[in-house]
Amino acid sequence: MTDIAGNDLRRAMQMANPSLSRFDPLPRIITFDDFDRGFSGWTQLVGNYEEDLDSMLPGYAQHLSPMLSTLPHWDAGSHGSFDGSYALKIATRPKRGAQNVAIKRLTFRHAGPIRIEAYVTFKPEASELKLSEADVRSFGFLYDLQVGDGAGDGGQRVMPHMRFLNALDGEHIQRWQFKPQTTSFKPIGHDDKTVSHYHLAPEGWVDLPGGEQRLCYNEIPTKVNWTYLCLDFDLATMQCTGFRCNDRVFDVSTYEPIRIPAMKNLWCMLNLGFFAETDTDKRAFLYVDSVCLSGDF
Amino acid sequence: MLRESFAAIVARNETWTGKSATEPYEAGWASEAVVFVRALKPVTGKPGRARIEISPDGMRWAPEGTEFDLPTEKDGIGFARVERFGTWLRVAADLPDGAAVTVLVTLHLKA
Repeated sequence: MTDIAGNDLRRAMQMANPSLSRFDPLPRIITFDDFDRGFSGWTQLVGNYEEDLDSMLPGYAQHLSPMLSTLPHWDAGSHGSFDGSYALKIATRPKRGAQNVAIKRLTFRHAGPIRIEAYVTFKPEASELKLSEADVRSFGFLYDLQVGDGAGDGGQRVMPHMRFLNALDGEHIQRWQFKPQTTSFKPIGHDDKTVSHYHLAPEGWVDLPGGEQRLCYNEIPTKVNWTYLCLDFDLATMQCTGFRCNDRVFDVSTYEPIRIPAMKNLWCMLNLGFFAETDTDKRAFLYVDSVCLSGDF
Repeated sequence: MLRESFAAIVARNETWTGKSATEPYEAGWASEAVVFVRALKPVTGKPGRARIEISPDGMRWAPEGTEFDLPTEKDGIGFARVERFGTWLRVAADLPDGAAVTVLVTLHLKA
C-alpha cells in the first residue's frame, strides 16, 4: 500500500470512530485518554523534596490528587462528560490564588512534531447562587520536555505553558497567555541532588497576540459546555508551531516556552499537565473529558 | 476490564488543630474506600478521633457514622473502611485544645 493510500485509510478509520473523529491527530496516536476509562495515568504534580516534606515549595505543597467526576451539581445532578459519565477533575483549594495540577509522565521516542488535543471545561464551586464568571482565575496546560541524552552540550529542558486568564482581581479578562520564564531554582535538601522551581508562579505571563477569546461559560455555575484545545509543538526545534481553541486559530509567532539548561535525570522527558487556579476564596474546577496526544513519526 | 482502583492523597503534611478536615474528594465511581491517616511528625497532646463525612454536593457535610482514633505518635496510622458513601468523602476531626497532628491522609478506592 502506498503512503498516500495508507494515510487515506488511516484518516477514514479515524473519522469513522466516534471516539476519535472529534480529534485531528497527527499520524501516530501516542496516547488517547478518555476518562470514562479511568484515570489513564493522570496523577497529581507532586513537588520535589529530600528528607522532609517541609522542603517542598509551597506552590507544590498545595497540590492534591485529581478525581473522576460526573460533574455532580447540587441543583441539577450529574452533568456527565462529553460522551460518557466521567471527566478528570482538577480542583483547587478554596483560597484566592490556589492552584492544582494533574500530570501524565511519558518520554518521547522521536524528536519531531507532537500535538495535544483536549476537550475541557471550567467552573467555580457552585457555593453561591450567582453567575460567578470571574471566580476562576485561569486554567491551562503545559508540557515539560527535555532533549535526549545524545543532544550534547547546550541541551535544554523546555516547558511550554499556555493558560486562559479568565479573571484577575475580579476583572473578567478572558485572554490566552504564555510563560517564557520560570522562577529561580531553589536547592532541596543537602545532598546537592535535587532542586525545585515553581513554574506556575503568578509572575511572568505574557499575552498571546490577538489572544482575547470569549468562551462558552453558560448562564449559571452548574451548566457547562466542553471546549476544544489544540497545541502543536516540535520536539526537534523545541518551538510551538500552532494553537487553536474551538473556532479560533492563534498567532504563535511570538510564543516562547520556558527554557532552562538540561537537567541530569530528565532525558527525553515528555510530561503533559493541566492546571486550574482560583481568583477568589472558592474552589476552581477544571474538568478534562479526553486528551489525545499524537506525533508525526 | 480490571476494577478501577486509585490511591488519592487528600491531605499531605498538613497540621491539624481544632476543627480540621480534608479537601472534598469525589469518588462516585468507587464502591468502597479504606482511609488512612498517618502522623508525619511527633504528635502534640491527645488528638482524639476522626470521623468519615459524606455530602450531597461536596459543600454540606454529614457524619457517616464511622469513627477511628487519630495516630498518637510519629508514623502511627489510623484507618477506617467505608462503603455506600454516595459521591463525596472527607475525613474530619475536632481536636481538643493543645492537640496537634501533622497528617498524610490517603483514600484507597475501588470500583
